[in-house]
Amino acid sequence: MINIMLVGFGATIGAFIRNELTLQQAKIKVDFPVITLLINIIGALFLGIFTAQIHNGAILLLLGTGFCGGFTTFGTFNMELSQLWFQHRLGSCLLYFILTYIFGILGFIIGIHI
Amino acid sequence: MQKRVKVLLFLFIGAFIGSNLRYGESLLFKTSSGFPWGTVVANLSGALFLPFLIHYLQDRYHLSSEIVLTLSTGLLGSYTTFSTFTADSYRLYSAGQWIGLIIYLTLTMVGGFLMALLGNYLAATSAFNDYARGKKND
Repeated sequence: MINIMLVGFGATIGAFIRNELTLQQAKIKVDFPVITLLINIIGALFLGIFTAQIHNGAILLLLGTGFCGGFTTFGTFNMELSQLWFQHRLGSCLLYFILTYIFGILGFIIGIHI
Repeated sequence: MQKRVKVLLFLFIGAFIGSNLRYGESLLFKTSSGFPWGTVVANLSGALFLPFLIHYLQDRYHLSSEIVLTLSTGLLGSYTTFSTFTADSYRLYSAGQWIGLIIYLTLTMVGGFLMALLGNYLAATSAFNDYARGKKND
């Protein structure tokens, strides 16, 4: 029961910050999903740091499974990819795909080692 | 300020359910090999459902912006995860599970994109079928 609370509250904070950041996408004059890209890279970096530094299972559930899991998103990332695909912006689609996966995984590895 | 509190409340409902569904799946699909089936199931099903919600269910059931925020940004946004995917990949790599790693990367990277395309396709065909049915009844 306590685990459900930890995951749920962590994810709520993560989702709230993600929502605040995503709202900024409309304000910046870049026609590319940079906000989701940054969210996923930063979230992966933080999960790496938490995984390496935190050895308490409950706090890891709150910050890792909860916060980082709720902050980063796979659904929105793929929906944005599909939108670029349907807009025939294949270069942007491929770039978004490559940047997310390479810098996301790199972010986690850097987080683990700092 | 009051609007932000409302947003937080809706996201709380969505994110609480979404993240725990994912957590539940990670426990349910735990295998002896350590292959992260839970993350695969959560990410692929979420990638399929999000475009279907945004491009079909939203219009079909006249969902309010609060409901859409709760279900998309809150529930599906927290149900799917990118950070856990990077952690799972690193774990498979560290354990030297090369075949598992290749299967996991392929399923997530190719499968996620295909699921999003399929979600869009299902949304378009469902909307078309509703339209055709409406025409017939006229």
